[in-house]
Amino acid sequence: MKNIANQHLFKRIVHWLLAILVIIYLVTGFGITEFRTVETLTLGLLTKSLAFKIHNNLWIPFIILLGLHVFLTLIKKRKKAMPD
Amino acid sequence: MDETEELEPVEIREYGGTDLSSVDDFRENSIRGPQHIDDIASYRLKITGLVDNPKNHTYEDVIDNYQHYKKVVTLDCVEGWSVTILWEGVLVRELMAESSPLPNAKVVIFHAYDGYTTSLPLDYIMNNDIIMAYKMNEVTLPAERGFPFQLVAESRWGYKWIKWITEIELSDDVNYRGYWETRGYSNTGDLDKGFFEE
Repeated sequence: MKNIANQHLFKRIVHWLLAILVIIYLVTGFGITEFRTVETLTLGLLTKSLAFKIHNNLWIPFIILLGLHVFLTLIKKRKKAMPD
Repeated sequence: MDETEELEPVEIREYGGTDLSSVDDFRENSIRGPQHIDDIASYRLKITGLVDNPKNHTYEDVIDNYQHYKKVVTLDCVEGWSVTILWEGVLVRELMAESSPLPNAKVVIFHAYDGYTTSLPLDYIMNNDIIMAYKMNEVTLPAERGFPFQLVAESRWGYKWIKWITEIELSDDVNYRGYWETRGYSNTGDLDKGFFEE
């Protein structure tokens, strides 16, 4: 019972982390291509060079989380499809 | 009916067997948006700093008194896009030669109309055919692309290709850093290296 609860919590964490990462990816992407607007909106906190550094370092965690997200979703679907 | 009326030039898209990008293929990424130097008669290109003979060129001075050169060069932007353009301009080293750089000059600092600056080693300018372009793909640089002059800093990242040049300053400050260089970008801007400072 505890094991199932832990699995569920892990899935939720992965899904939420992926969602947050996608948002950061988008914001930092705009921070590069639309840097004048983003710098103004973030009161100079997200500069173009900072956006670049974050954006360029996100791809490994992004792929890991995306892989986990797909894997966990497929497992869930498989379990549902299995006859009792 | 014998008179021929000259129409607006149209950019070329192929030169010497090389396919060229369009003037419209650039992404606008300047620090303060496109600069419009409408009154070209009052424009001056200053050559200052460690020179024997500082100059204050008009646009016509530059166009009329210096040899013109053409070159197909690709600009690679740190954002990931690139454009291959036929550039036409004057050699920066020929412009500077008339001002007689002093022996202690080591760095060339370029200043732009919008306050942007960048620098390159004097050796790089002297030992390569680095042009300051006034035309791209056979048309005069549009305001968005750096009219009246843009530096064609070949083999350097796009942030070294300063637009709207107003001043060329010779300096001995080898630690000088321009706009993006003070924000973490590499001071050399070498294309074969990363654009962030190691």
